Amino acid sequence: MSPHGFQSLAALVRRETAMVYEPGKEYLVEARLLPLATALGVDIDTYISRLGTDPTERRKALDALTINETSWFRDHSPYQAFTEEMLPAVLAARADRRRISIWSAACSSGQEAYSIAMLLDQHLPAGWTAEILATDVSTAMLTRVQNGRYSQVEMNRGMPATSLVKYFTRAGTDWEVVPRLRQMVRTRHLNLADPYLGLGTFDVVLLRNVLIYFDDVTKADILRRMSGHVAADGYLLLGASETTLGMPSDVASLWRREQLGRVQAHRPVLAAPQRSTYVPPSSTTAIGA
Amino acid sequence: MTVRAMIIDDSRAMRSILRRILTGLEFETSEAGHGQEALDQLTAGPVPDLCLVDWNMPVMDGYTFITQVRANPAWRNVTLMMVTTESEQSQIVRALAAGAHEYVIKPFTPDAIVEKLEILGLTSKGIPA
Amino acid sequence: MSVAAPELTDVQAIVEQVWSSFLGEAEPLLPQPVPAGAPFPAEDAWSAAITVNGTDGGWSGMVTVELAEKVAFSLTAEMLGVEDVEDGDVADAVGELVNMIGGNIKSLMPGPSALSLPVVAAGRAAHSSEAVEVARFDGLWIGQPVRVSVHVTSIGEN
Repeated sequence: MSPHGFQSLAALVRRETAMVYEPGKEYLVEARLLPLATALGVDIDTYISRLGTDPTERRKALDALTINETSWFRDHSPYQAFTEEMLPAVLAARADRRRISIWSAACSSGQEAYSIAMLLDQHLPAGWTAEILATDVSTAMLTRVQNGRYSQVEMNRGMPATSLVKYFTRAGTDWEVVPRLRQMVRTRHLNLADPYLGLGTFDVVLLRNVLIYFDDVTKADILRRMSGHVAADGYLLLGASETTLGMPSDVASLWRREQLGRVQAHRPVLAAPQRSTYVPPSSTTAIGA
Repeated sequence: MTVRAMIIDDSRAMRSILRRILTGLEFETSEAGHGQEALDQLTAGPVPDLCLVDWNMPVMDGYTFITQVRANPAWRNVTLMMVTTESEQSQIVRALAAGAHEYVIKPFTPDAIVEKLEILGLTSKGIPA
Repeated sequence: MSVAAPELTDVQAIVEQVWSSFLGEAEPLLPQPVPAGAPFPAEDAWSAAITVNGTDGGWSGMVTVELAEKVAFSLTAEMLGVEDVEDGDVADAVGELVNMIGGNIKSLMPGPSALSLPVVAAGRAAHSSEAVEVARFDGLWIGQPVRVSVHVTSIGEN
């Protein structure tokens, strides 16, 4: 790796994550990026130069370089808001269907999806079904979600001990999610910058701490298209310091912000454009006999 | 209001690691090398808000210490967090049943301790608005 | 049926997790294979051992850590947060290291069993001729050798 390569990488990491890589740590960068570069069949300098224009690789590189143990119930208050505000509202609104659907968009290793699953196991009334869709651009991460296996060190992060023993069983040095939780979560490969084909709508969408990996144009595009997949009375949750404020007006106008406890949720303003070309009968047409 | 924490572990190195994490959070810390020493300090007062308790210690182990604390109504507001290598499911269940409020498996990172303290409401972030 | 040995992948996972938790992401522990039977590849070494004593059919074994002297002193400075390191400090830090590794291995293996106190020495580890090595991890930290090994006194029923 050339000094210039290291410098431009250090600048990228600092900009995106505030983490600082100082000279002397080149070996660490090489150790962590070499597998990614090799997977693409390029050398490390070439790989680094691609990161400016390839958001998928940029995401992978940043994940590999930053201390990457995601917490359970990360930031705590969004999960509190889910239990105390969002879930009761959805239970009231979906009383006829008794089904709740949730999308963890950019699920990474799955702590977010399974954290929600734990809360649903605790608070969803009998007779209700829950579906959690976990998507990510990394198939390796999706496999991790499917396996539902986490290391001891990962299990220490933000997991109440009572939930640890209730929802996980030990497998060697790892801990594995119990089947009834795993059954709530299905995975799908998805790049947020690509079209959302056949996704349907969700009562709650979690899009937390992932928009930072995209440039402004893509960020706006994601938030624009996302409004078609959140139920009219549903919720979009962004990361703690993320907001639609400052977005182009056509995007900002699609969302209104609502304070739920210490958390700001985004709710759709306009319904998604109708896709069908069905034209209702004119009002002068008699209905019935 | 400053949180007072007692670190109970027979390993000087582990006490040092935990002390540095807790003083970084501006906790006041005290230390004991085993359960009996800790009980003696509790009796002498002042009573800490939090005890970090290792399991395997000479004289009196952490599990026994926890049962003793929970048996004394005067100490019912002391938060008890085990910090131990005992990682079998049955051991964790036993500790929680005996009255431990939280459980950290060694090895841990400083972040892990902080996040457990947040769950317990013992850092400024965890205090309800 | 008695289980003779922890899985090598589990031993490696434990060692790496203990290392990365306390000795910083900045200086990773890198696996460095050493041929079977080869002596610990450092001239000045510190070592520490802890035993797992099984009862009623629980697993018994010994977990040993060997460290190049520079590793022992550097990790002590980092774990204790001090600059000047004396023998007693190294004994405390290295003892805790083998305690954590041994404790996690104990939790992996069938019980019931009890963990002994760690013993630390300024020197290479020496094992009785009746001790059988059942797992070994060799690595490098700050470019110097680290070895963790697991021994049992006999394979078979306790």
